[in-house]
Amino acid sequence: MKKIGFVILICGVLFSCNDTKPKNGKFRIVTTTSMITDLVQHIGGDKVDVQGLMGAGVDPHLYKASEGDVSKLSNADMIVYNGLHLEGKLVEVFENMERQQINTVAIADALDKKELISSALFASNYDPHIWFNVEYWKQITVYFANKLSEAQPEHKAYFMANAKKYVKELEQLKVELDAEIATLPVDKRRLVTAHDAFNYFGKAFEFDVVGLQGLSTATEAGVQDVQKTASYIIEHKVKAVFIESSVPRRTIEALQAAVNSKNHNVVIGGTLFSDALGDPGKPEGTYIGMLKFNVHTIVAALK
Amino acid sequence: MTSAQFEIQLIASLVAIACAIPGTFLVLRKMAMISDAISHSILPGIVLGFFLTQDLNSPWLILLAAATGVLTVVLVEKIQQTKLVKEDTAIGLVFPALFSIGVILIAKFANDVHLDIDAVLLGELAFTPFDRIYYDGMDLGPKALLVIGVILFVTILLLLAFFKELKLSTFDAGLATSLGFSPIILHYGLMSVASVTTVGAFDAVGAILVVALMIAPAASAYLLTTDLKKMIALAATFGVFSAISGYWIAHFLDASIAGSMTTMLGIVFLAVYLFAPSKGLIAVLYREKQQRIEVYLITFLLHLKNHSEENERHVNHLNEHINWQKVRSKTVLNLALKNNMIRIDNNIVSLTKKGETFTSKAIDYIVTYEDGLIEDMKDDFFLFRG
Repeated sequence: MKKIGFVILICGVLFSCNDTKPKNGKFRIVTTTSMITDLVQHIGGDKVDVQGLMGAGVDPHLYKASEGDVSKLSNADMIVYNGLHLEGKLVEVFENMERQQINTVAIADALDKKELISSALFASNYDPHIWFNVEYWKQITVYFANKLSEAQPEHKAYFMANAKKYVKELEQLKVELDAEIATLPVDKRRLVTAHDAFNYFGKAFEFDVVGLQGLSTATEAGVQDVQKTASYIIEHKVKAVFIESSVPRRTIEALQAAVNSKNHNVVIGGTLFSDALGDPGKPEGTYIGMLKFNVHTIVAALK
Repeated sequence: MTSAQFEIQLIASLVAIACAIPGTFLVLRKMAMISDAISHSILPGIVLGFFLTQDLNSPWLILLAAATGVLTVVLVEKIQQTKLVKEDTAIGLVFPALFSIGVILIAKFANDVHLDIDAVLLGELAFTPFDRIYYDGMDLGPKALLVIGVILFVTILLLLAFFKELKLSTFDAGLATSLGFSPIILHYGLMSVASVTTVGAFDAVGAILVVALMIAPAASAYLLTTDLKKMIALAATFGVFSAISGYWIAHFLDASIAGSMTTMLGIVFLAVYLFAPSKGLIAVLYREKQQRIEVYLITFLLHLKNHSEENERHVNHLNEHINWQKVRSKTVLNLALKNNMIRIDNNIVSLTKKGETFTSKAIDYIVTYEDGLIEDMKDDFFLFRG
C-alpha cells in the first residue's frame, strides 16, 4: 500500500509545475499581522518587497495559512513577527527558522520585558498586544530599522531616514491622541471591551480597562464575568461599551442587556480595531489611522 | 516543485497512512468518532502541562495531551463495559467532561494567558517544512516528518505483529477470548495507538484533517471490500491520493491545504458511495430495478404455466389480464424472449422447455426455500443472490 502512495507521490512530482520565483532583485520580507506589514512598508519603502500573511481584518487567532504562504515563506529573505505567542504555534516555527539562515525578527524583542504586562500567576507569559502603546511602537521602529540595515547595509541611510521620519510621525500622533484624550475627564476613562486586547492602551493613556473574557479564546465569558462587569459599568456610570472585530458581538450584547435590566443605559460605542488593521486604502488601514480611529471612537462614545 | 512543497506532500501522505491503519479498525468497531473526541478531551492535559512547566512551548504539553487521549479511551471503555450505554454514547459522555475540566481550569487559573488547543497543539501543514530538527548542526528534516515517521513505523510494526489478533477481536470478541487472546488488552492497545497517532498528527497537520483522514478513507474502503487487508490498503491509498490531489488543488486555488485535502476526502467518499460495484448507491438502485423486473418475469411465467387456453396467452390480452402497463409488459416479454423461455406464434405466447424448468424450479424455491436448487440461476438473476 505504501508503494501505491509513493507512486502517486512521484506522479505529483512529475506533473508539478516549476514555480518561478518572483525575482525582481528586491529584499523580500514576510510579515504576520497587518500592523507589522504597515511598519515594514514605512521603513523599507521601495527597497523591499513586503508580503503580509494575515491580510486586513484577519485576526491572528483565526488565521489559516493558504498554500501560497508556503512559497512566500520559503522565498523570504526576512520574516518579521510579533512574538509573545501572539501568532500561537507559528512563533515556535519562526524561532526554529532562525537556524535555517532565514533572518527572523520578533518585534517584541525591542522592548524591555520588565515593562510588559505579564500574567498574574505565570510571570513568563506576557500580553502580546504591544502595538497599542505608541512609545513601544517607536522603540520597535528603531529596532527594526537597525535589523533591516544589518541585513541590507547598502541601504542603511535610506532605512534610517525612513525610520526617523516615521518616529516623527508617531510622536506627532502621540501628541494628537493625548490632546483628544485630554478632553475626556479621568474618571470617564473606562474602556469596557470583549477581550483583553487593550491593556497596553489603558496603561499608556490612563484608561481603566475591563475585558469581559480572558486572553484565551477557548473560554467564553461566564455569567459571573457578565455580572461583575455589569456592576462595574453601573457603579462608574460608564456610557458605552465596545465591540471588537475578533470577538462575537453577542457577548457584549449580553452585557448590555444585563446592564440595561438594572436601569442603567449603556450603548455600544462602536467597533474597535484590536488585532488587525482595516482595509488598505482606508485611513484605518494604517497603524496611525487605526489608532486615531480607535481613540476617536472611544472619546466620542464616552464623552 | 520546491523542497517545501515536496515535504508537505510527503508528511501529508505519511499522516494519511498512519491514520488509515487505526482508522479502519475504528470504523469497523463503530468507534470512528473517538478521534474527534480526543481532539477535544486533550485540553486538560495541555492545561496541566502548562501549569507544571509554565511554558507554552514545552513538549510536556504534548506528552500530557497524548496521556489524556489514552485516559479518554480508558474511560470510554470502562463506561462501555457496563453495557448500560453504547459506544457512541460513552464517547459523548467522556470528552465533553474532560474538555470542560480544561475550560474551567483556564477560566479559574490562567485567564490572562493565551492558552488553548490552537495555540499549543494544532499544527498547520503549510508551516511543517519550516519547523526543522537539527542535530549537531545537521538538518535532520522537518520535525513533523520525524514524529509522523516514528508513529507510522511503530503502527506498522504493531499491525504486523498483532494482525490476526486484531482481526479476530474486531469481528468476534467472544471467539478471541475463548482462544486465549484478551480483546480488552488489544482494544486498549489499538485505542492507545489511535490516541498517540491523533495527537502526533494534530501537532503536524491540525485537527479536522486528522479526523477526516481517520474516518473518510476507511469508510470509503469499507464500501469496496470485505477483506480486512485490502480494506487497510485501500484506505491508505485513498488517504494518500486525497492528500496529494488536495495539495495541488490548494496550490492552484491558493487555499488552505488541510481544507482542500479534506474536500478531496469528501469527494472520494462520494464517488465510492455512488459508484462502488456492490454497495454503491447506483449499484443498489440497479439491483433493485432488476429484481423488480425479475419478479414480474416469474409472475408472467407462472401465469403462462397455469393457463393452457389460448385467449389467456394472447400478447394483447396480457396487458389487461395481469394489469400491467404496455411498457412493462413489453420489457418482461422481451426479457423472457431473450432468455429463450417463451415462444410467440401468431401472437400466442407459450413456454419453452427452458421456461418450464425455470418456472418449476422457481416455484420449488419459493415453496421450500432450498438454496441448492437454484445455484445455477444465481449468475443470471439478482433475485436469487440472497
